[in-house]
Amino acid sequence: MSCCVKWMCVSLCVVTACSGGAAHSDNTLRLPLINDPIFNPVIAPDIGSVMVNKVLFPGLVRPDEALRPVPDLAVSWHAAADGLSWTFALRAGVTWHDGATFTARDVKYTFDQILDLASGSRLRSDFAAVVGVDIVDSLTVRFRLKAPFAPLLPLLGYNAGILPEHILKGTKLTDAVAFNRTSPVGTGPFRIERVAPGSSVTLVRNARYYGATPGVERIVFKIVPDINAQVAQLRAGELDLITIEPANLGSVQGVAGVRLLQVPVVQHWYVGFNASTPMFASPLVRRALGYAINRPAIVRGVLKGYGDLPGGTIPVALRDYYDSSAAPIPYAPDSTRRLLASAGWNAGPDGTLRNGRGEPFAFDLLVDKGNPTREQSALAVQQDLGRIGVKVSIRAMEFAALVRDRVLPGTYAAVLIWWTTPPDPDQFSFYVTSQDNNHVKWSNRTADSLLALGRATTDTGQRHEIYRAFQQLEREDPPVLVLFYPREIQAVSTRLHGIPNLGIRDALRHSERFRFAK
Amino acid sequence: MILFLVRRLGHGLFVLLLVSTVTFASMMAAPGGPSLLADPKLSVTERAAIETRLGLDQPATVQYTRWLGRAVRGDLGASFLYQTSSLATISARLPQTLLLAGTALLLTLGVGIPLGISAAARPGSFWDRFVTLSSGIALAVPAFWLGLMSILVFAVWARALPAGGAVTEGDVVGLADRVRHLLLPALVLAAAGCAEVVRYTRSAARTTLALPFIQAARARGISSRRVMWRHVLPHALLSVVNVIGLQLPRLVGGAAITETVFSWPGMGRLGVEAALGRDYPLVMAVTLVVSAGVVIASIVADVTQLLMDPRIRAT
Repeated sequence: MSCCVKWMCVSLCVVTACSGGAAHSDNTLRLPLINDPIFNPVIAPDIGSVMVNKVLFPGLVRPDEALRPVPDLAVSWHAAADGLSWTFALRAGVTWHDGATFTARDVKYTFDQILDLASGSRLRSDFAAVVGVDIVDSLTVRFRLKAPFAPLLPLLGYNAGILPEHILKGTKLTDAVAFNRTSPVGTGPFRIERVAPGSSVTLVRNARYYGATPGVERIVFKIVPDINAQVAQLRAGELDLITIEPANLGSVQGVAGVRLLQVPVVQHWYVGFNASTPMFASPLVRRALGYAINRPAIVRGVLKGYGDLPGGTIPVALRDYYDSSAAPIPYAPDSTRRLLASAGWNAGPDGTLRNGRGEPFAFDLLVDKGNPTREQSALAVQQDLGRIGVKVSIRAMEFAALVRDRVLPGTYAAVLIWWTTPPDPDQFSFYVTSQDNNHVKWSNRTADSLLALGRATTDTGQRHEIYRAFQQLEREDPPVLVLFYPREIQAVSTRLHGIPNLGIRDALRHSERFRFAK
Repeated sequence: MILFLVRRLGHGLFVLLLVSTVTFASMMAAPGGPSLLADPKLSVTERAAIETRLGLDQPATVQYTRWLGRAVRGDLGASFLYQTSSLATISARLPQTLLLAGTALLLTLGVGIPLGISAAARPGSFWDRFVTLSSGIALAVPAFWLGLMSILVFAVWARALPAGGAVTEGDVVGLADRVRHLLLPALVLAAAGCAEVVRYTRSAARTTLALPFIQAARARGISSRRVMWRHVLPHALLSVVNVIGLQLPRLVGGAAITETVFSWPGMGRLGVEAALGRDYPLVMAVTLVVSAGVVIASIVADVTQLLMDPRIRAT
């Protein structure tokens, strides 16, 4: 027997000896994805696809590090005086990865597809204000709008990558299997080299790229669905940049060869109260509950400091619009008790708040299963509200079930969830009365007109004032109980440089900037 | 013989039909729905357009009949998540799972049976207790933990083996590279099954050792090593074979976990992904392919038995 064991040991040593170390010296950037991407920015439904598509398919503009739109496939633009049309001058001399010339026809084709629901488009609601795109000449396009629409530019730099008309015309986008799965053609700094299903997507430097020469030779997106496995691969030198949850910090902090970056992202995490239920109809009650949450403790304890304290629903990442003149929402449980008492909720002998009819202040808080940050935040909310006599029961559900069975039909009292938005303060679809995405059924006439005005105003100074007024209004009548603005935590190989100070998705709009230290 | 095959195939088709109905019904009854529709940002019209495109606006019975109608013609539909033929998606992944599970099965038998026999040879010895204890640990430890720990030890600390994937991306793929990637996941997948085989083999061998024909062999002066491997092993294997059959479901289920931890591009992970995303066509296709595999394997087993055992052939 012992000879058998010996044989196994020897063979193990032989196999491992061939390795020659796991660290890569080639000029290849390795990033994780959680699933196989669909190479088509118009129909791709998932975050993994979004990441790859940002590299392959540039848009007309892209966000700079202040999240302001700067030229990409368009070099300049101007809006008509009435705000009902925008004209874009396109970059000359741009070629597709297959060598064909990029023209205004491609832009028109892409937006025809985006606006056509039958195409499988998932971007239509982003561009609902657009009537159509006209070709002025081969390098000029004009967007016609139903009404003035300020978020147009940020949205053009968000997910709206331009597709090649010469390849896709005449095919239904969802049927273009070869393009979508194995052989996409874009105009970006990297082009597709190889797709290994379930395993990886390899992109190689595009020699014809119109911008700066890409700093790395290849980008390999490796499909690593498990976050713990991603961390292990980063530590083993098999991945170069991953985004992690605060719960994973312990396994990357102080690790040689790994450094941590943090970036404020355009998200607000909140507890949404269903305002159509009697319990949460009153602005007073929603405001009172907001004071009962010890947000500094959540940011410290749950986010390990990687987050910012909120004022309203417009996050600090939107530095042109975030109202920095007001302090974050205070932690003031005494104010909560006072306000709730004036709303008719008084503590009974057992400490539980009850209304005039003797009903207890109790509700279910829904949260999606499996994300430690959200589950721990829900616990913190439960404890903080418990302290003032509000009884919260946490119901953890799978995300898809939570959204489809509870949030969309509006059959819930409270939900802990978040919005990721384009880099623009427009929150019309979330918080204007009866809009599709207004899942909390919030309704405030002043806010309706402010948010309508905000998306129709293109002057940054005026917009700033409008959104400041909106944030002040939110202090009195909070649409949701904002918990914090998270920062994206990027764990990065120390060899990797040139990383834009942006969330990973926006950073990939500048993929040519990544490079390795010599 | 022909009649037997036809009857077994008929049974098999009936089983597949039953499996597909049950799978479809339970998928429809499960909370949530296709993750494609679970994006809170979709507008009502966008959501309706997607439902119409995928036929999800129809009643469940209509959806099932349509699926069945296409399935009998060999079309298992397009995956929601992959937006391409479910069968093509599976066939890209199946070889990887066969490679991983096949290697794990070989390891299970190749390591488990000799270890079990050697432990039984000297009951109560240090080696016996060591093997018994290790197999107990291997049975108790969950695969995902064992996987992460082995990654930590061999890939992160020792940097001797890759932390995941089936090959080194972007490099020319050689056999050594494949073996290095296969080693950890196959060992982890094999661990629990191997421990089970060790224990069964050991106890079967101990039982066999007490039988008269072994005493007789010993009395004839045959060396104890030869007794163990030539006389005890074949006899003990008869009962171990049953356990081997039980390894197949374990390998299929275990593959899903192991493939996720090791980023192995196999079908197990695909099945999990499909189930989580409520990718109806893909879930149906994966279930059907796995069930068909089991059905075929059992027919092959029956036929083999039929050919080998004269007692069954006679009836």
